[in-house]
Amino acid sequence: MTKLLQTLFDGLAVGSLYALIALGYTMVYGILQFINFAHSDVFMTGAWVAYVVAATAGWAALGGDAPPLYAGLFTLFASMLFCAILGFGIERLAYRPLRKAPRLNVLITAIGISLFLENIGQRPELFGTQPQKMPQLLPDTTLFTIADVNFRVVDLTVIAVALVLMAVLQWLVFHTRLGRAMRAVSHNFSVASLMGINVDAVISFTFVVGSAMAAAAGFLYVMKYPGALKQPADSTWILLGLKCFVAAVIGGIGNVRGAMLGGVLIGLMEMFGAAYLSPHMRDIYVFSLLIIVLLVRPAGLLGRATVEKV
Amino acid sequence: MTAPILDVRAISIAFGGLKAVTDFSLSLPAGALQGLIGPNGAGKTTVFNLLTGVYRPQTGEIHLDGRRVDGLKPNRIAAAGLARTFQNIRLFGDLTVLDNVRVACHVRAETGLAAAIFRTRAHYGEEAAIRERALSLLEIFGLSHRAGEYARNLPYGDQRRLEIARALATGPKVLLLDEPAAGMNPQEKRALADLIALVRRQFGLTVLLIEHDMGLVMNICEAITVIDHGVTIARGTPAEVQADPAVIEAYLGAPDEPPPASAPAPAPDSAKADP
Ligand SMILES: Nc1ncnc2c1ncn2[C@@H]1O[C@H](COP(=O)(O)OP(=O)(O)OP(=O)(O)O)[C@@H](O)[C@H]1O
Ligand SMILES: [Mg+2]
Repeated sequence: MTKLLQTLFDGLAVGSLYALIALGYTMVYGILQFINFAHSDVFMTGAWVAYVVAATAGWAALGGDAPPLYAGLFTLFASMLFCAILGFGIERLAYRPLRKAPRLNVLITAIGISLFLENIGQRPELFGTQPQKMPQLLPDTTLFTIADVNFRVVDLTVIAVALVLMAVLQWLVFHTRLGRAMRAVSHNFSVASLMGINVDAVISFTFVVGSAMAAAAGFLYVMKYPGALKQPADSTWILLGLKCFVAAVIGGIGNVRGAMLGGVLIGLMEMFGAAYLSPHMRDIYVFSLLIIVLLVRPAGLLGRATVEKV
Repeated sequence: MTAPILDVRAISIAFGGLKAVTDFSLSLPAGALQGLIGPNGAGKTTVFNLLTGVYRPQTGEIHLDGRRVDGLKPNRIAAAGLARTFQNIRLFGDLTVLDNVRVACHVRAETGLAAAIFRTRAHYGEEAAIRERALSLLEIFGLSHRAGEYARNLPYGDQRRLEIARALATGPKVLLLDEPAAGMNPQEKRALADLIALVRRQFGLTVLLIEHDMGLVMNICEAITVIDHGVTIARGTPAEVQADPAVIEAYLGAPDEPPPASAPAPAPDSAKADP
């Protein structure tokens, strides 16, 4: 029973992290119908910027004195801001000029941006080629224990931050003028433009929001796994990005709520598989879930199946 | 004589070797209701696409209310006061009926993005006003009771009317209607004609109408332009156009027969380039 609850809690923590990243994939796909391969690199950059900020500020490395409480918040916002600008720049410089080009061109460009970010990130004046240990900004303690289930501060923070951000996004998309415009643009951007919507602004905004959320996920990731800050071109980032993309597909690509659901499902799947089957096959569970969902509901759990008209 | 509200001067576009529209000119006086007709594939929808900025004219100029608009982005042209509906219905299916109209109201909104995020009082007041305006438009089109439904779930006739409501929400000076009566029965068509007359009066609109139903066009339009293969072949009052041999030939490929009173409407979803 304890194991079950503990796994559930861990799964939720990992899952909400995945959900944050999945949202970026799904929002871009929803509007532009292409997979933004560079998204996992924005996530990576978010994690690294968090490290650079914390390290530069001189906040203690693992095991040192406890840093001030605002350190975490400051790092989070710095990282989100940086990646928001990065995301804006990527769209503006790389994708917008290709708005009318065949989708394959955009896809290849996205792969190019991805490789570019990974490799430029390894420059010595940026993040370097060595893995690092993230300074510990949150106390590494258990906040409380219920029925022998440990609620660690880190995991609770991850869930709380992710929930707040997703609630904000949900409100933004479904209850604001901007969100209404986003939904219209994602339905059909040429028609949206004809109805007076500034499509470029909406798309820029989408990238800004998606990238900021990926940065938040990057920050939370290094908080949760302070020892696992791998160098920018390491394959961990790509694999993580891929999983989150899978989450978006499982939820129904293009669907905001679906991405949240998919992320949480994948997190749970991974943790339960690791706890009850074998911890060595985590990725297999995730991709098995993908295959099953695609077989049963090709449009994803919350996706709407459309019949191609001929 | 007052300056025309929409002044189109010799616009053309070719797709590869296909001259879809050649030297199309049109001068719409404010308040006019004119028709644009021609056989299938004549280039009528392409004219609308040129006017609204979907395509950029390769020659010529477009002036809207004294302002040159060709070459502007579609959203800027919409902001300048040109709105349209689509031959193949293109509503935002995943949005509610109300949101379809509200989203088109944004272009006339004054508070910007920052206000939307920081939720200023002015923004709130304006949101309320947008809602009000959207609801009154739905009222006019008899769609109030469907405000909360997804647009994709509406019956066909309602979708056609919602398209007009949405176009009106952008606050246009000139409204372009692309086969608004396609797929409607005669009764619905009459109701639609009345509706067009009503909104035209109420909003002081100028309307340009593409329609295959000759009965409808001849009835409500004051003047008609006929194109075929992208070339303007006739222009005049309904009676003049109807009697024009070039028009008769274009429609029937043979002289001495009048154009059909009611040409069959094309399938609403004929595969065609967007939009
Ligand atoms: N984007 C495009 N690329 C290539 N050809 C096009 C494009 N848009 C339109 N055409 C062609 O231009 C010609 C005019 O098309 P258009 O849709 O304007 O005709 P229409 O008068 O509206 O016909 P209908 O009555 O069937 O609606 C057609 O031959 C069409 O195939
Ligand atoms: Mg047409």
